Amino acid sequence: MAFPLPRGITPSEIAFLAEMETITIVPRQRLEGMELLSGSIEPLGPPRRASLPLWLALLLKRQRRAHIIPPSWLHPEPLSLILEVESQHQDYKNAFSPPPPLPGQASVTDHETESIARPQYTPDGERYYAAPPFLPHNISGAGTGEKEVPALPFHWIEVGNMLLDAASDDLVDPDQLRRLLKDLREVRMAKMRSGVDALDAAATGGGGVALTGVGAMELGEERGFLTGVVDNLRKIGASKEQARREQLADQRANGGYGATQEDEEEDYMEF
Amino acid sequence: MSYYDIDSILTDAQKLPCTFELEVPGLGVLEGNPGEDIKAGTRIDLPLWLGEMLSIAARIGTSRLVTLDMPDALSERVMNALKADPRTVDLRALAPHFYHLSERILELFEEEEMVDVLTNTFKRRAAEIADHAHNPRGAVGGGVDFLRGLDEAERQLFRAAHDRAKEMRIWAGEAKRK
Repeated sequence: MAFPLPRGITPSEIAFLAEMETITIVPRQRLEGMELLSGSIEPLGPPRRASLPLWLALLLKRQRRAHIIPPSWLHPEPLSLILEVESQHQDYKNAFSPPPPLPGQASVTDHETESIARPQYTPDGERYYAAPPFLPHNISGAGTGEKEVPALPFHWIEVGNMLLDAASDDLVDPDQLRRLLKDLREVRMAKMRSGVDALDAAATGGGGVALTGVGAMELGEERGFLTGVVDNLRKIGASKEQARREQLADQRANGGYGATQEDEEEDYMEF
Repeated sequence: MSYYDIDSILTDAQKLPCTFELEVPGLGVLEGNPGEDIKAGTRIDLPLWLGEMLSIAARIGTSRLVTLDMPDALSERVMNALKADPRTVDLRALAPHFYHLSERILELFEEEEMVDVLTNTFKRRAAEIADHAHNPRGAVGGGVDFLRGLDEAERQLFRAAHDRAKEMRIWAGEAKRK
């Protein structure tokens, strides 16, 4: 209450995080390799493609030292396909289009294989699962299998916007891209807001709202609103919830089967 | 609901109709005539914090001092109006902290149906608030009447949604920072 800043992080902070995404460039000048805190940068030799953090790629682009190769999803065709799925497809009427598969995870079309992400290992041998911005979603040509389904990565609004700002001459049909990104954003925003109905179940009955595939910027924008709605619904429903619990406790006292297990569950729910 | 939460303090001050069950000597100051007694059966509007105390504290003893009634803001008439169309009711005119008040009242009374009506109301109105908040022209336009009737909790919701949408537009370069 006393803290003046709103909860959550601001759009520019989210964009800052997105600048860690790796992106492919074609350098126009030679540049020696660099040791940065975030990792080492390979030496750049003009005709050879290289993968750099987005911030460095944008810097080189602004200085006209490199061309940026747009990520595979940032083209008119995949974006219009996603837009069509989001707005027309019955299955995705209330859900968001699936995020890109994690490394080793079977893509959405593969129903045969189990869709479990494959862990990776650090040099020290520790197991970890890569997460954005350390996923190769924006590297051109990375993991482009035959049946690759276009999908929006976690930082799609930020990367899309920044590339359109700084490197629109490297993109295919930037005006249409801009329009498609805007349309996609609006379709998904509307979905998120219509999810208020489902939020009720989440607030009182222990249900949940699936936010799979929602981007960082979208989460940042809707965070204040959605948490506010859930919070208020919880408060309004508090007395009913209280009554329900008392009833459960009574039942348990009378019947008494499986009491211990449910007791433990209840403990987790308290907050 | 924290100790310093100004909204919860203001909610505490909302008036609640109470009926005295006993004669209380010297408490006429509540009715506006100091020095007099309060007769049994007198109806006075007391602040929520006082009414709550008087009615709950008495339960421990032998007989209760006051009985509480539903405030006008949560009367049957209002509930029917909310059932009919949640969006046209001016909650702010009923009580500036409508939802906070109803939370406190629902702790005192067992009203399952009222919980359902209020939950539904809040959901319907929240969807409407989100639409208004994402409108780039802000509160200008057709929704002025609706937005004027928001209670304090809803206003905070509107503010959160609106500020975020505005920050996004500024970041994307669609709007100028003022």
